[in-house]
Amino acid sequence: MMARGKAALLGFLLAVLVTTLSGSLIQTQFNLAALTALGAEISLATRLTTTAQDLVGFAPLYASLVAVTLTVALPLAALSRRWLPLPAGLLYASAAALGLWLAFMVVDALAPMPTLIAATRSLTGTLCMLVGAALGGVLYACCVGRRL
Amino acid sequence: MKRWHALGLTVPLLAGLAHADYRLETLTEGLEHPWSLAFLPDGRMLVTERPGRLRLIEADGSLRDAPLAGVPEVFAEAQAGLFEVMLAPDFDDSGWLYLSYAYGDISANNTCLARTRFNGEGLSGGEVLFCASPAKRGAAHYGGRMALLPDDTLVLTLGDGFDYREQAQNAGNHLGSLVRLTLDGRVPDDNPFLGDDGARPELYSMGHRNVQGIVYDAARDELLINEHGPRGGDELNLIQPGANYGWPLTTHGVDYTGAQITPFRELPGLTPPLLHWTPSIAPSGMALYHGDAFPDWQGDLFVSALAGQQVRRLVREEGRVVEQQVLFEALDSRIRDVRVGPDGYLYLLTDHADGALVRVVPAS
Repeated sequence: MMARGKAALLGFLLAVLVTTLSGSLIQTQFNLAALTALGAEISLATRLTTTAQDLVGFAPLYASLVAVTLTVALPLAALSRRWLPLPAGLLYASAAALGLWLAFMVVDALAPMPTLIAATRSLTGTLCMLVGAALGGVLYACCVGRRL
Repeated sequence: MKRWHALGLTVPLLAGLAHADYRLETLTEGLEHPWSLAFLPDGRMLVTERPGRLRLIEADGSLRDAPLAGVPEVFAEAQAGLFEVMLAPDFDDSGWLYLSYAYGDISANNTCLARTRFNGEGLSGGEVLFCASPAKRGAAHYGGRMALLPDDTLVLTLGDGFDYREQAQNAGNHLGSLVRLTLDGRVPDDNPFLGDDGARPELYSMGHRNVQGIVYDAARDELLINEHGPRGGDELNLIQPGANYGWPLTTHGVDYTGAQITPFRELPGLTPPLLHWTPSIAPSGMALYHGDAFPDWQGDLFVSALAGQQVRRLVREEGRVVEQQVLFEALDSRIRDVRVGPDGYLYLLTDHADGALVRVVPAS
C-alpha cells in the first residue's frame, strides 16, 4: 500500500515536471516563431537563452497551474477506470490533456486579459501544450504500474 | 535619492516635494470609472465614464444628475467603453465634441471616433468619423486618447487588442497604431503611409501596444505618447510620422506569465522609447503643464498611473527626460487621467467604481 502511494506520488511529480518543462519549451518556440514571421532573425544562441529564461521566468507559474490541474485530473481518471475500460496510459493521458485544456479556459475566463498564455492563442499552440500534458499522463500511468 | 533607468541612462527620481507644495481638493465624487476630462469655456467640465456616460460638472464641482443624452452606443466590458472627450479647436463657434469609444460586442469590436455638437445643455447631430479595423475579439487594449495638431488634424491612439500583438507590425490594419485624421474624419494629404498600397492611409505610426496618453508640445513641436508595456516596459515615446516603435519585436517588459515576449530590447529600424518604466507603473493620461499656479512646473510632463497609483512629473532637457518626481501617492488611488485646467491647477480622475475628480492647488 505504502509502495503504491510512493509510486503515485513519484508519478504525479514526474507528470507535473514533464508537462511543465515541455509546455515551457513549446510556448517559447511559438513566441519566437511569431517574431520570426515578422522578419526577426533569431540565432541558435538567442533561442537557447530565451528558452532558458522562460524555464526560470515562465515555468514556475505554469507548474502551479499544471499541479492544480493534475491533482484533480489524475484521481478523476483513476475513478473513471471503473466505467471506462480503456488502457491506463490512454486514460491518464486524456485526463491530463483535457484537464489542462479546461484549465486554460478557466484561467482565460478569470484573468483580465483574453488569453493568458500567448502560445495558446492558436489551436496548434494549444494542442502542442496539451501533448506535453498527455505525455505526463502516460508517465504517471507507468509509475503507478497500470497496464498501458 | 532613488535612481530610475531609462535606456541605460539613469534618470534621477526626486524624493519629496522639491519644487512645489500643493493641496489636494476633491471636487466631485460619484463618478463611475471616469476616463477623461475636458474643460468648457464657461468653466464647466465634461467627464466621460467608461460604462458609456458623458457627465456635466459645474464650475463648483457639483455633478449634474442626468448624463448627457446622445452619446454613441458603446461596448462596455472590462477595458472597453467610453474613452476620451475632446473639444474641437473651434468649439466656441461649432460646438463640436470628439468622443472615442469601443464599439461592437465581445466577439467583434474596436475603437471608434465620433463627433457630436454640444450646445451647453445637450448633444445633437452625432456622426461616426472612424472605426479601427479589423474588429477583434476580447475587451482589452483600445488606446482611445486624442490630441490636436496645429495643422487642424487630430491623432487618435489605438491598441493591439492584446491577443493580436503581432498585428502591431502590420501596416495593413489599425491594430497597435496611431492614426491621424482631419477634423471631419478624412485622411490628410500628407499622412506618412499614404500611397503605400499595403498600408492603411490613416496610419501615423505603428508598433505600439496600448497607447494611453498623448500630448502635443507646441513649444518644442513634439508629439509624445505613453503606452502600457506588459510586465515592465511601459514607454514614453517621441512620435515621428511613419516610425515603427517596435512592439512586440522589442520591449523592456516580459509577459504577465513571466514568459519572454521577445529577446530584443532594441533592433535597427525600430524607434526606441525616450524612457521606459520597468517595473511598470501602468501609465494612463498625460498632460503638459503651462500655467501660473505652479511656476516651477512650466513645460513639464505629468503622467498619471493606474497600478503605480501616482502621477509622475517628468522634467525634460534637450529632448531627454532628466528627472522624475513621484506625486500624489497620498491619494492611494489608481489615477486614470491628469489634466491642466485653464486656471493652471492640475486635475486628476481616480479610476474606481466610485471615482472622483481631484484638483491640485498650491498649498498657499
